[in-house]
Amino acid sequence: MNLKTGILLTLILLLGFKIQAQDCSLSIRGKIIHLENNEPIEAAYVWVIEAEEGAVSDQNGNFTIKNLCSGNYTVTIQYLGHKTITDSIKLESTTFSKTYRLEEEAVGLQGVEVHGHRDAVQTTTAVSALYGENLMESRGENLGESLKRISGVSTFSTGNSISKPVIHGMHSNRIMIMNNGIRLEGQQWGAEHAPEIDPFLADEITVVKGAETVRYGPEAMGGVILVNPAPLPTKKFSKTNLNLVGGTNGRMGNINLVHVGGSDKIKGLGYRIQGSAKRSGNVKSPDYIQENTGVSELNLSSSLGYSSSKLGVEAYYSLFHTELGILNDSHTGNLSDLQNIIVNGRPFADGEFSYDILNPKQRVTHHLAKLKSHYHISESWKLNFQYGFQLNHRQEFDKRRGNLNEKASLDLELYTNTVDLYVNHTHKNELSGTWGINFIQQANSNVPGTGVTPLIPNYDMVNTGLYAMEKYSKGPLEVEAGVRYDFRNVSTARYINQELRTADIAYQNFSAFLGGLYHISPDLTFNSNLGSAWRPPNVNELFSEGLHHGAAAVEIGNPDMVSEKSLKWINELQYDGKRTHLEFTAYLNPISDYIYLNPTGEVYTSLRGTFNIYEYLQANALFYGFDFAGSYEFTEKISGYLKGSIVQAKNTDDNNYFPFIPSNRMDWGISYDFSQATDSRTNKITLSNVLVAKQNREPDFDIAPPPSAYALFNISYNKEFNVGDDKLNLGLQVQNLFNTSYKDYMNRFRYFSYDMGRNVLIKINYEF
Amino acid sequence: MSTKSNLYLIALAVASLFFSSCKSEDPVPENDGELITDVTLTFQEIDASGNALGAPFDFTASDSEGIEIGSAPDVETVMLTKGKRYEMSVDVYNSVAGEDITEEIRAEGDEHQFYFLGSAFTSSPFLSYEYNDDGAELIGLKGIVTVQQSPGVNTANIQLLLRHALDKNYPGADNPNFQDYAKAGGETDLDITFPVVVE
Repeated sequence: MNLKTGILLTLILLLGFKIQAQDCSLSIRGKIIHLENNEPIEAAYVWVIEAEEGAVSDQNGNFTIKNLCSGNYTVTIQYLGHKTITDSIKLESTTFSKTYRLEEEAVGLQGVEVHGHRDAVQTTTAVSALYGENLMESRGENLGESLKRISGVSTFSTGNSISKPVIHGMHSNRIMIMNNGIRLEGQQWGAEHAPEIDPFLADEITVVKGAETVRYGPEAMGGVILVNPAPLPTKKFSKTNLNLVGGTNGRMGNINLVHVGGSDKIKGLGYRIQGSAKRSGNVKSPDYIQENTGVSELNLSSSLGYSSSKLGVEAYYSLFHTELGILNDSHTGNLSDLQNIIVNGRPFADGEFSYDILNPKQRVTHHLAKLKSHYHISESWKLNFQYGFQLNHRQEFDKRRGNLNEKASLDLELYTNTVDLYVNHTHKNELSGTWGINFIQQANSNVPGTGVTPLIPNYDMVNTGLYAMEKYSKGPLEVEAGVRYDFRNVSTARYINQELRTADIAYQNFSAFLGGLYHISPDLTFNSNLGSAWRPPNVNELFSEGLHHGAAAVEIGNPDMVSEKSLKWINELQYDGKRTHLEFTAYLNPISDYIYLNPTGEVYTSLRGTFNIYEYLQANALFYGFDFAGSYEFTEKISGYLKGSIVQAKNTDDNNYFPFIPSNRMDWGISYDFSQATDSRTNKITLSNVLVAKQNREPDFDIAPPPSAYALFNISYNKEFNVGDDKLNLGLQVQNLFNTSYKDYMNRFRYFSYDMGRNVLIKINYEF
Repeated sequence: MSTKSNLYLIALAVASLFFSSCKSEDPVPENDGELITDVTLTFQEIDASGNALGAPFDFTASDSEGIEIGSAPDVETVMLTKGKRYEMSVDVYNSVAGEDITEEIRAEGDEHQFYFLGSAFTSSPFLSYEYNDDGAELIGLKGIVTVQQSPGVNTANIQLLLRHALDKNYPGADNPNFQDYAKAGGETDLDITFPVVVE
């Protein structure tokens, strides 16, 4: 045998071996969404004919069929009222992955189902959502507190009733909140201004952690929070949901009622009506009661929608109304008052329980109305129109003398109109995109008669944005890119010392993003997104001039400030195994001309004593950090989770740190499931532990050093029952189990008080 | 009314709401009501039985801009005579809104109280103070100041503090020279230091 024959034989043998050792660990993985609106389809049926294997898509439209050998297969995808897709695929050495878009069958056919519309978050950025069991556990909390359950999200708070969500170290006007598709436009510039939204209106709250200026408009730098109600039913349907929450700390009571219905007579007509009320009194820290910390809230929302296969129309209205007390001793008259209470570390009085809300207090009413419509021009083109109207009325009352005590010292009315006009196009399985124009108009007025020179001037703002985004999906890869151009005009007017001061300022900016998602294996996904974003300075940053009441600070704005510009690069690796779930997010976020309030170190003297002087400055900043979240099922009964986040925020001009950036934190817990394997109803106890480190990356100046690290333990038990055809969920939670005294760096009232002590909560949810 | 005119009215109402939301209101100048621009201490010498002797005289601290960035307040030096007793009254005025704040303080006497600190009353005291308000409430709008016969020093400071929304029942809060005033809660409305010279 010569060498040639030998090689040939070896090759044949090798080839033969290769054929013998056929790989049978391959998978077909995919996502099923509606062709016309990109909404994920749950419970679509996928069948691989040759392998006689099937799967049903989950609520995000995802499915996986594992343990397939390489070869040619025919896949069919079926879903009621939609055209069946038959796809021939060749499965080779790697896993096959594809997004399938199901097309609705023509109307008029028997058994056609028209679905409600809610667009799935179609982004290649890192996204986390709060829904189902986790959302139910958060009921009774405000938006900021609820979202702390998502890794990478923390809060910036003022006492225990005001908390603003913080995404990757950014809050207020650097993130955006969408109330059912409309940019929430309130007075978000203030540190003590909580978002004007009731979390009860949502059945899912999604956090997009990337820069999303292109999609959502200026200011969406750090991330976006989408507060979305469930889609409206489109056929005969009736469901009512009652939530009752009671808490011992502050003797809090919270009720929420939602009714969702679908018309029998008119196909495609559905509605929802929701209302919630909340009342709580003075909150208790472990050793004393915090005086004047009660909350009273009343919220409503309702929507009415009609969907046919071509046309969809939705009208929506939400009302948020709150009145909340501000901790008595936190309102300081001058610097020595401030220093006295900081040295004391807690309020001077032990306090008594009361539901009364006295001055200082806030009263905020937010109306939001929207009208949305879409029309399917053709199979692959959809035209959308959305109009939103908002009125935000904010009143802040201080302790004042005589009749002035009845008058608000800050009284602002902010009107916002938003118009969106855009087209979506989706072509089977490959290209999809959105092109649109967005128009925002805003008018802010100080209601006269406060007896205080307004903190911010009256102003008019008009913003026009033009944008386009395209997404290409092929096999396991999705690539997405978008561009946007915005033009903004702001004109302001205010009297200071009887002298009228006006200003006209124009801003324009171009932003863009590029993102991709790749399914490395059926269990493992990687996504990466690089997005630019910008934020024009707020009116308070431009025009503040004078005393910040209660804060013993004189704040000075700078009318010559320019827009902040940022670039956020975010990467996420997700593993979804049988027992293990892992999410790892890392980001890098340089910002030029970052605006911050800098203590000048000088004091100002008046008849009322002295005050610290702060000025708004701009500097280059670098934010970076990572979040992780993971869970593991040890046995069928026992599972555990771990999550945490680290964020760094540096002033790269002065090489120091910015104030009020969250310290390192993590949170872990262990659950025991009492339910039988055959029973899908919840019956679970969870013990969890929150660990928050001391903020060692502290700024050069702070009126008090950062508080020490702390650990809190919480316990919760949830059980689901059937009452006839109805569903009953009972929850018992103990927060801060050991009544630990602690202060959080991100709570502005750490200067004045310890945080809330133990709280025992009972949560009842009845669905009928 | 016909359906048509009803519709017209609704359309008009909707349109007016829309237009009111399209433009901000013209700004209106605000008179800062809380502001205190002038504080006057009036001294009237009295004899042992409280009868007035001679003419009263006063000293003023003023800051026309109030709490705004600008010049520091002008504070006059209080001149008193050794061994004499004075009735001192405090007058508080807002020159921006043209309001007499003294009356408001008196009307809300249960929520306000003046404290008299500074070296003249505390560290090397040569002055003593007792409340002598018209009603039963201790406010400090009127009081008796006694100057020592032979003080160790002849210059010091008077710190005049007006506390608002304090707990008047807090132990020690009835002392006009109460240094732990902060523990009684409330916030400071006035904090002025007058230099004082005795001859």
